[in-house]
Amino acid sequence: MYEWDFSPVLAEGGFLLVGFRNTLFLTATALSGGLVVGLLLAFARLSHRRWLNVPAGIVIEVFRTTPPLVQLFWFYFGLPIVLSIEMTPFLAASLTFMIQSGAFFAEIFRAGIVSIERGQWEAANAIGMTYNQCMRRVILPQAVKRMFPSMMERSIELMKTTTLVATVSYADLLFQANELAQKTFRPLEVFTVVALIYFVSISFISFIASRMERRFAKSGEFTP
Amino acid sequence: MNYIWNFQDVFDNWWALAIGAAGTLRLFVVCLVLGMGLGLIIALGKRSRNRPIRWLSTAFVEFFRNTPVLVQILWFYYALPIIAPIEIGPFLAAILGISLNSAAYSAEIYRGGIQSIEPGQWEAARAIGMSGLQTLRRVILPQAIRRIIPALTNRGVEIFKMTTLASVVAYVELLQQGKLIASLNYNPLEVYTVIAAIFLIILYPIVRLTYALERHLARSD
Repeated sequence: MYEWDFSPVLAEGGFLLVGFRNTLFLTATALSGGLVVGLLLAFARLSHRRWLNVPAGIVIEVFRTTPPLVQLFWFYFGLPIVLSIEMTPFLAASLTFMIQSGAFFAEIFRAGIVSIERGQWEAANAIGMTYNQCMRRVILPQAVKRMFPSMMERSIELMKTTTLVATVSYADLLFQANELAQKTFRPLEVFTVVALIYFVSISFISFIASRMERRFAKSGEFTP
Repeated sequence: MNYIWNFQDVFDNWWALAIGAAGTLRLFVVCLVLGMGLGLIIALGKRSRNRPIRWLSTAFVEFFRNTPVLVQILWFYYALPIIAPIEIGPFLAAILGISLNSAAYSAEIYRGGIQSIEPGQWEAARAIGMSGLQTLRRVILPQAIRRIIPALTNRGVEIFKMTTLASVVAYVELLQQGKLIASLNYNPLEVYTVIAAIFLIILYPIVRLTYALERHLARSD
């Protein structure tokens, strides 16, 4: 019978903490970039100009239908060859996950914007607002509320996807775990602890998200 | 910026990619069947009147949805063999990680589908003397599955993409073979471009089909 011993893992807690901090940092970077990319892609996709909406559609579909790990390898090993630049694991990962989550966010934004009734555009137009004004003052504020649940879900997916950077040696939580498992010869305990860290932090975020959803729901104008 | 693309080396190794594609397909089919099947059982477990079963199913879903699938695969690969008296190779570790993860996600889809059927149908089926299981099989599931086909197809696409993670434990699939070709010929750009293209060619028609199905169902419901 195997005897569980968590003391070597707990003694190196700081090592895992560094990884956790890097995971959070990468998630935050990719998330903020991803939201911007997503909004731009959504606007381009909704535009009536072909030279904008066709490329946006291609980017969205390509990044949604290819595996994120292949994208990461492409950006990390492939892109530096075309651009002849140095690529760090962090840069490759932020770029990949920004565009990848951006593609998913774009579809969420688009669906949210499209879900606002046509009448609102017409009303805003009638009182003399331009397209941009109407989008900013009337449509987006309502659309964001409706998009909130799917956006939170996507952000949580993004945090889980960041584990892939461990494969290109960025010192995120999973990478640190792998190192620690080899150092302590205690993979069972290390991977169990790491799975628990992810579980607790992600559960916490989804808990907060569902609380906020309920508050939005109470304040009205909300379609699930 | 003046890089000259050369796909020749990739196409010369088409045989290695074909072996990889077979590995990807094998893993995908096993995970699809296990994930979707187990998902239905767990969805029913969450509706069970027996409290321990309900509690266990919920814990399963929450745990597998709230941890990254790569952590799960590595846990099954490195950690499980220590407590389980079985040999766990890359294939089995990948199957365990991906199927259990997909089971948790599809369980939520089934649950949503079953819940979306009006309670009146359960009552009507009981009134004409059907048992709970009969009602589920003959009345509820046929309608629920129809409604959730787009969501399940999406899940299938996700599973197909997830199979690339098996390369982390060196299971022979497309990406793993790609890594091999890239390291032998120093052509990562071409290799990963081709691999991304393969996934795109296989999955894009399925994604389009899902959109069409969604529209069709939205009209007919």
